[in-house]
Amino acid sequence: MKNKLWLTMSTVAVAGTMLLSGCGSESDDSNVANTGGNAANAPANAPANAPAGDMKLRILDANIGGKTPEENAKFEAEIKRLTGIEAKLEKPASDYDQKVLTALGSGEKYDLIELSDLNKLASFVDQGVVSDLTDFVTKSPVLSDPAVVPAGEWDQLKSKDGNIVAVFSKFQGGTMPIVRKDWLDKLGLKEPKTLDEFYNVLKAFKENDPDGNGKNDTYGLSTSGLYDIQGFMSAAGLKARYVMKDGKRTIPYATEAAVPMYEWFAKLVKEGIMDPNFVTNDSGKMRNLFLTDRVGMVTYWDAWVGMFNSMKKTEDPNTKFQAEALESIPGADGSILMRRGDPDFWIIPANAEHPDAAKKFLEFWHTEPGIMLGSLGIENEDYTKEGDAYKLTPTGTEHNMDHGVPFWYNQNVKYPFGKLPGVQEAQDLVTKNATLELTLPTWPDAEKIVNDYALKAMSGQMDAAEAVKKMHDELLGKKLIDE
Amino acid sequence: MSDRFERLGWKNKAFDTLNALFLLVLMLTMIVPFVNVLALSFSSGTASMQPDIVLWPKQFNAEGYEIVWKSLDIWRPLLNSVIVTLIGTTLHVLLSSLAGYVFIYPRLPGRKLMITFILITMMVPQEAIMIPLYVVNKDLHLINTLTALVLSGLVSGFSILLMRNFFLNIPHEMSESAKIDGAGEFRIFLTMYLRLAAAGLATVTLFEFVGRWNMFTAPVMFLSDSTKYTLQVALKAMIIDTSSNSGTYLVTTNVRMAGIVISIIPLLAIYPFVQKYFMKGILLGASKE
Amino acid sequence: MKILKRYGALYVMMVPVVAYFLVFAYYPLVKGLQTSFQDYKLMGDRPYVGFTNYNAVLHDSTFWDAMVNTLVIGGGILFFSFIAPLILALSLNEVLQAWYKKLTQMILYVPHLLSWVVIGGIWIFLLSPDNGLVNMLLVHFFHISPINFLSDPTLARWIVILLTAWKEMGYTCILFLAAIVSINPSLYEAARMDGASRWNQLIYVTIPQLGNTMKVVFLLNTLGVLRIFDQVFILRNPTVASKLDVLMMYTFQKGILEIKLGPAAAASFFILIITLALTLVVRRMTRFDEV
Repeated sequence: MKNKLWLTMSTVAVAGTMLLSGCGSESDDSNVANTGGNAANAPANAPANAPAGDMKLRILDANIGGKTPEENAKFEAEIKRLTGIEAKLEKPASDYDQKVLTALGSGEKYDLIELSDLNKLASFVDQGVVSDLTDFVTKSPVLSDPAVVPAGEWDQLKSKDGNIVAVFSKFQGGTMPIVRKDWLDKLGLKEPKTLDEFYNVLKAFKENDPDGNGKNDTYGLSTSGLYDIQGFMSAAGLKARYVMKDGKRTIPYATEAAVPMYEWFAKLVKEGIMDPNFVTNDSGKMRNLFLTDRVGMVTYWDAWVGMFNSMKKTEDPNTKFQAEALESIPGADGSILMRRGDPDFWIIPANAEHPDAAKKFLEFWHTEPGIMLGSLGIENEDYTKEGDAYKLTPTGTEHNMDHGVPFWYNQNVKYPFGKLPGVQEAQDLVTKNATLELTLPTWPDAEKIVNDYALKAMSGQMDAAEAVKKMHDELLGKKLIDE
Repeated sequence: MSDRFERLGWKNKAFDTLNALFLLVLMLTMIVPFVNVLALSFSSGTASMQPDIVLWPKQFNAEGYEIVWKSLDIWRPLLNSVIVTLIGTTLHVLLSSLAGYVFIYPRLPGRKLMITFILITMMVPQEAIMIPLYVVNKDLHLINTLTALVLSGLVSGFSILLMRNFFLNIPHEMSESAKIDGAGEFRIFLTMYLRLAAAGLATVTLFEFVGRWNMFTAPVMFLSDSTKYTLQVALKAMIIDTSSNSGTYLVTTNVRMAGIVISIIPLLAIYPFVQKYFMKGILLGASKE
Repeated sequence: MKILKRYGALYVMMVPVVAYFLVFAYYPLVKGLQTSFQDYKLMGDRPYVGFTNYNAVLHDSTFWDAMVNTLVIGGGILFFSFIAPLILALSLNEVLQAWYKKLTQMILYVPHLLSWVVIGGIWIFLLSPDNGLVNMLLVHFFHISPINFLSDPTLARWIVILLTAWKEMGYTCILFLAAIVSINPSLYEAARMDGASRWNQLIYVTIPQLGNTMKVVFLLNTLGVLRIFDQVFILRNPTVASKLDVLMMYTFQKGILEIKLGPAAAASFFILIITLALTLVVRRMTRFDEV
């Protein structure tokens, strides 16, 4: 095939060849570097005891590495310095999912791929893409240590046959209601715990001019669609997405128990307490409203409690702004439902050429030098180390201690600069209450229906009971749920 | 057209006024978004995140531009974009006009078949052929080269049909008489048609230039070496929003908007030149008689 | 032999183009077609499964919903994206002050330069019920309560159609303008000699002379109409998704989100086949080939 293509090619681009040879030759060298690991004579499974100097690694990832070509090169050099592995990091600019699919589908060979969607992981397992890592993880002195990764966490990364098929790349948090603590204090209110208390607080945020600008321009609550109302739905004991009940697929948001919840939101919308744009908001817009005194409560990631606080602090050291994470509203039986985000994780594709280097890298990634690389960045570039003390350089400060790993599992590795204000409390809530959502392959179809009717009910375009009934019937009719 | 002024009666004047007003309103709808982008890009980081900036920046500064400039190392992606756009557009316009010229011969055997052949290429949903296309580029050793970007969309049915359309406006007798004088097809094409279709050439060049400059899917798919990134891709990489996980990067709106402004300035800059060719097209049209 | 002698050079001129399309369009297309008949896994065996993928798509009610949306929205875009730039070009051509004409042309083409992400973002903001410029004007002048344009299912399609026409009109208008400047000025002179008014010059000279360009623009629009995606992707939200999700959205969901590459390819080929049929109709109707 190759020859045929070349033959055809040579007749193409009559004038082009001359002009193009300029950039063609320039790119050739890098091509060699890129595919260097692909030399045809390299055995598919290099022996585990290959000398470290020969180890190569081709990585495709979405979050990890430098932001500019130079930084990326330095990042690769740092991996080489710390592990002896010759790594090539490829970090597509965007459309990551499509890139992964295209690369895998066309037989491109990577040794490590970063993913962050468990539903995708399941599909990849089905399609024969993923290597089984059970043996590796259970026998690895690093990864099998519960202080490095708590034993129970591995369940997230198991295939339906119970094999471990991936390794975490960082600690993933959860989402929750985040409130303006300073507004609560100013209006003499306490952290709300029940649905009614939430209503009163949100109403006060709307009506009592919490920002003190004399204008009625604040809202109580904003969300980005249904992302993520779990904190409120918890009051009725409803878990987002799928829940398996006696082997049957159900979607709690589409049951009658959800009706009073949608009515509660509809009341907020009707009384102008809820940001009317919540249906069309992306999460960026929602964050911006929160940062600019327009809304007193949003629902977002734990890490962002700290980001919010630190941003306002940088802008004005005397700011009163204080964001605080809230626990979900307990249900009738006192149980609290919170959302844990899908983990970010690495897979070793089945066609990887250097699985041993990949495994070595995965262990490194969970030790102190690896974690520091993923968080602070590159030594002498982002930070300096004197004895045991870390010090950030101006570059390091700019990079925000996040090179793909803002938070990690390994309890033996301390956060050298602590966490941003409010983050620890938020993460404690996640650790205490949050559970993963069950995303079945049919979810993309089901999600559309759930979103459509739920948002119509919440915004008052449709009666809540009617919306839930239609939602449920449609889901059942399209065989997206079993009861 | 200036001699038409003399004939203006009140009806004409009323029409002209209304017409100008209509265009003015339309222009306003187009200016507002653009000015909005400008205003946001020149606001401070936190101010740019407030919802009430419409036409005028708040806390005026150029911080957004500084950040883009500094963190992007903008010269390399800019150079990549310029190389790909210039070479790509030149070849594209040349090859497409070549094919467009062929189709002005109404009695050319196989003409309908060839038009269908070209039309089909224009209907293909790119997503359907993404993986095979990647394989072709891989087999030709084009992955991670700028050549892949030049070759992507090197010819398009769109441009071929447009050029054909512009060539059709040139009286056929001219080429017939040139042929009697012994000129070959290539010479007629180069010396006569390309020159006379200047307005058309300018149009297709403009279209292709904009398209290539904004090209996005191909570089994302075929390049993963960040030294080869084009401006659009580098900008997108910088301002990408990671709301799907708990990452802690924040790109403020002013930075995002500054990126957008930087990316479209070259496009606005070439417009006056293209317009000049339109005018040239009129002159050539006038000299045809 | 005679044909070759007469037209040989022309065929040679076509060679690079044909070769290019064979390698970069037809070969991938055939491979894509092959995918649509396979149980296409990312790795390992990819057995042939006959028409299973096509069957699955045809029996998926989501596909048919997407089809209806595509035809309605596509039809609307086809109409407005043809008529709006035409009116604009004719209107611009009547502007007598050169500077105003230049300025207008330049500004009208700006929206095309901005991606849908930007344009969509700005319009979502302008149309928002809270602080949106459009609602502020409506409330001020007509004393109505703010309209939530983007989450109103009855307005959703109109917004997509009109915004698409609006965004591309300045650009497509360039095609018409380029054709207008190429009109032989002696035709206008002759018309004026006969005492034709501006209106009559428009009707009897300009518009007939634009015939070819109109055909081309209409044909080009037809080819792309089933592939609308970006604007829908940006302007959709869950409350209007059922009115907006088009065929390309369907293939995106099947292919990229659900990693069902076989059915996604099959759906793509339905899009291709329908486009082919539409194009055939348009070619016949406009007598595109008989120039």
